[in-house]
Amino acid sequence: MGRLTEKHNLKGTLVCVEGIDGSGKSTQLALLRDWLKSIGQDVIFTEWNSSELISQTTKLAKKKNMLSPRTFSLLHAVDFADRAKQVIAPALKAGFIVLADRYAYTAFARDVARGVDAQWVRKVYDFAYKPDLAVYFDIDPKTSLERICFNRTPKFYEAGMDLKLSNDPYESYMIFQGRVINEYKKMVKEFGLIKLDANDSIHSKQVKIRELLKEVLREKGIEV
Amino acid sequence: MKHKTKNGYEGLLIVIEGTDGSGKSTQLELLKRSIQDKSYGVMVSEWKTSRLIANVIDDAKERNLLNATTYSLLYAADFADRLENQIIPALKSGFIVLLDRYFYTALARDVVRGQNIEWVKNLYEYAPEPDLVFYLDMPVDILLKRIIGTTGLDFYESGRDVGFSTDFYNSFEIYQNKCLEQYNSMKSEYNFISIDGTKSIQDIHKIMNDEVQKLLDSGILA
Repeated sequence: MGRLTEKHNLKGTLVCVEGIDGSGKSTQLALLRDWLKSIGQDVIFTEWNSSELISQTTKLAKKKNMLSPRTFSLLHAVDFADRAKQVIAPALKAGFIVLADRYAYTAFARDVARGVDAQWVRKVYDFAYKPDLAVYFDIDPKTSLERICFNRTPKFYEAGMDLKLSNDPYESYMIFQGRVINEYKKMVKEFGLIKLDANDSIHSKQVKIRELLKEVLREKGIEV
Repeated sequence: MKHKTKNGYEGLLIVIEGTDGSGKSTQLELLKRSIQDKSYGVMVSEWKTSRLIANVIDDAKERNLLNATTYSLLYAADFADRLENQIIPALKSGFIVLLDRYFYTALARDVVRGQNIEWVKNLYEYAPEPDLVFYLDMPVDILLKRIIGTTGLDFYESGRDVGFSTDFYNSFEIYQNKCLEQYNSMKSEYNFISIDGTKSIQDIHKIMNDEVQKLLDSGILA
């Protein structure tokens, strides 16, 4: 493997949060961003499937339910590559703290849960820099479902309906997200993701994540 | 004993490769007609035509939004979409699928744009092996004349995005030469049937048609 397993040696710091929907990662990242800004750090935020180049196409294709697992995987890789080259790499070179809501690990979890070969998708993303801190928020599928679908049915792809696991979107969501979680759990060891319990309070998770980041910054000679 | 197709499906996969202006489309059309005349079902698919992604590529090129990695991945996504939605279903139903370009095009272009060849190969490693690959071999000076005389020099086809030269003509020459080098190094690895592209249209068609006939005579689709 290339960059994803080697330290990047750039001036900046790369932090990513991972976990299935409803695990609270976006809340934690927003809190972290506000704090870092308030103490005068240069911060850049980037999120999954948001590039100008392709995100609208992917969203449209998802609406039409017309993506095979491999096409789904490659379109997300396009989005990621666009942000990696235009946003993340320049910011790291310029010394920013880059906060990424989801990173390559999301692809490894979701695509492999869809039946894409694990080594194949890892190679596709091997141009990605290794994060200085990668936090995985662990939650069970049932709690996730209760949090995100209290007023709507699960969407086609988030429920993994393309895999025809069940005709019931709720049941399909449980099975599919269970598979995604299994992939995340494997990556805790493989990529050194730091696992936090998503059921802990917002406050206690934020305290932990700030401690972890302070430690990472201290190693780079930055005291916050 | 029944012969098996290389791709393992019922149908045949036949590819015509070559750089821009090498005469691929003309030959594809002739081959399509001659195979149809033999009462076989033919499906044609061209590079960068998926309903999903082709427009995105054109739009992004127009606005200069692509870097070498997104360029590679977008073409790979286009290919995956066509392969899974058109090509493989047609092969499963026993069609002869004629392709204008295959992943060899991506290998040549992406490597010239500085991508690691193993990384690019991995993107396409699931692509079925064609039963026949015709490669139209053309010297750069003739390619240049043909393209200038027809479509004119295009920014990406001239490799202007790679920054070899700001002069269109020089850039095209360097870029196409580098692509040809890549094609040459693929010839034996992927069993290209290399055809001199300067031969007459009818001569080239005869060579292709004879090869297809040989394959059909083996009873492969019987």
